[in-house]
Amino acid sequence: MNRNNFVIHLALAIVLILVAAFAGQLAKWRKQWKSHISIVPAEQKKRGASTTEEIALAETRGFGRPEVLVKFKSGVSRETIDELMSRMNDRVEDRIENAPGWEAIDDLDNADAAATVAQYSSMPEVEYAEENYEISLSQTIEVRTAVTTYQPLRFPKDPLFGEQWALANSGQRGGKEGADINATNAWAITTGSEEVVVAVLDSGVDYNHDDLKPNMWTRPKSMDAYEDEDLGPVDDEYGFNAILNESDPMDENGHGTHCAGIIGAEGENNIGIAGVNWKVRIMPLKFMNAGGYGTTKDAIEAINYVIERKKAGVNVRVISASWGSTQRSRALEAIIRKAYENDILFVAAAGNASTNNDRRPHFPSSYNVPNVVSVAALDRNDQLAAFSNFGVKSVAIAAPGVDILSTWLGNAYEEKSGTSMATPVVSGVAALVLSEHPRMSVDELRKKLLASTDPIVALKGKTETGGRINAAKALE
Amino acid sequence: MNKEEAVEKARNDLAQRLKVDPADIKESVEDADFPDMALGAGESGEMSGQMITRGWRIRLSAGGQSHEYRADKNQVRLFKYKGKNYRI
Repeated sequence: MNRNNFVIHLALAIVLILVAAFAGQLAKWRKQWKSHISIVPAEQKKRGASTTEEIALAETRGFGRPEVLVKFKSGVSRETIDELMSRMNDRVEDRIENAPGWEAIDDLDNADAAATVAQYSSMPEVEYAEENYEISLSQTIEVRTAVTTYQPLRFPKDPLFGEQWALANSGQRGGKEGADINATNAWAITTGSEEVVVAVLDSGVDYNHDDLKPNMWTRPKSMDAYEDEDLGPVDDEYGFNAILNESDPMDENGHGTHCAGIIGAEGENNIGIAGVNWKVRIMPLKFMNAGGYGTTKDAIEAINYVIERKKAGVNVRVISASWGSTQRSRALEAIIRKAYENDILFVAAAGNASTNNDRRPHFPSSYNVPNVVSVAALDRNDQLAAFSNFGVKSVAIAAPGVDILSTWLGNAYEEKSGTSMATPVVSGVAALVLSEHPRMSVDELRKKLLASTDPIVALKGKTETGGRINAAKALE
Repeated sequence: MNKEEAVEKARNDLAQRLKVDPADIKESVEDADFPDMALGAGESGEMSGQMITRGWRIRLSAGGQSHEYRADKNQVRLFKYKGKNYRI
C-alpha cells in the first residue's frame, strides 16, 4: 500500500467509525426521546396505581372526549339544541368558547362517530358536523404504568380509617384499589374549615357523639334565637327540630348521625373514623322521626330555617338531603329554589329503587333547580350499586354508597348502604371546596363538583357526568 | 318491636280491615332488605331516608287473597292495599 492509499483507507475508516458512532447515538437519543414523551394518563398520575386495564377500556368506549363536533346555524336556540340532543340521546360535552356556535357532543348510545356525524349533517339546524379525532403522537407514545403522585398523600390517625374504603380504597375486603374519592390527596390541600356550615336535613344528629361533638354547629352567642312568624321564638342553640318546632335536633334513628359522620366526623383525633372534612360545622336539622320518615311540610320548615339562618349571617352553604319519595311537591321545589337564591347548594339522594329517574322522577333530587345535585351510589368496585337510581339527564354524579362506615347513636359506628350514604360524600366534598374558595357562588360550586369526577365505565349513560366524585380534583 | 310483635300487629290490622277472625289468617314471614326507611311503602306526602333497611316481609292470606305487610323494629306498613300504602 502506498502512502496515498493508506491515507485514503485511514480516512474511510475514521468516517465509518464516526458514522457508526453517530448511528448508535441516534438510536440512544431516539430511545431517550421516546421515554421522555411517555404519557401518564391522568387517572394513574393521581393514583400511583396501575389502572391500565380500566383506562384502556375507557378509551375504547370513547370516554373522556366527545365523539362529534357540531356547528349549529346561527339563530338556532339553546332550547332547540337541547331538544335535538334529547332526541338523539346525546349530550353537550362542551361549548367551545373561542369557536362560537360549536358544540362538542357525546353520543350516549356509543354509536359509530361517522354515523353520528352523518345524522347531524342531515339536520337543517346544523351547519357542519365532524368527528372529534384524537390527535396523538402515534407509534412513539408509550403508556407508562410507573407513576408519580402530584401531591403528597395525607392519612389521618383515626383507628377505623382502614375500613373507610370510600375515602381510601386499598382493595380492602375485595374492593378495587383506587375506587374512592381520592380524599388522601385532597387532604394534602385542605382538611376543611370551621367557617363552613353544612346543614344535615335528616332525622337529627347525635350531637353528643365523641367523633362529631367538636364539629357541631351551635348558634353564636351574638346571634338572636330563631323566630318564626308562625311558630314564634325557638331557642336554636343546637339546631332545629321541625317535627316539634323546638330546639332539640337529637337523632332518635341514627340515619342523620350516619350522614353527619360522613361529612364531618372529626379527623386526626384518634377516635373512630374521619369525615370527608376533618373540620367543619354541622348544623343538625330534624324533620324525620325515630322511624326515619317525615313529612314534606316539616322538610320545608327545616329548609326555611336554613335560609333564615343564612340571612342572619350563618355561613351555611350546603344542605345535605339523604331522603326523598316519588311524589312531587311544588312547595318543596319552591323552597329549594329559594335556597338557591340564597346561594345554598342542595345535595340530594337519587333514590334506591334501581329505577331511571329520567322516566320516573324521585324528589327532591329530580327538581330542575340549579342548586340541586342528584347523587347515585357506587360500590367498592366502582359498580353502580344494585339499588341505586340513575338517569343520564336527572342524576348528576355518583359517590361511594355501599357498606359505608360512619357514626351511629350512642358513640357507636355502623356500616350502612344507600344513596343516603353517597349524598353526604358529595356534600362533604362541596364543603372542602368552600373551605378553599369561600366566595365561590352556588353555580360555580355545582359546576366545579360536576367537573371533578373520574370517569367510570359502569356509569356511562347512567349519570350526567358518568363519573365518581374526586375530592382532590375538586380542589385543583 | 320484634318480629313476632310486628306479625301480630299486621295480623290484627288485616283482621279488622277484612272483618275476619285473626286465627283464620295464614302467614309467611321472611327477612328482607327494603329500599328506604319507609320500607318502600311510603304514604302520600311522606319523605324517607334513602338507606337500605333490614326488616321483615309478612305475607298474610285470608279469604283467598294475599296481602303484604312490611315491618322493622320501628314500624309496620301495609303495602299497596287497594293501590295505597298505609302506616299501621
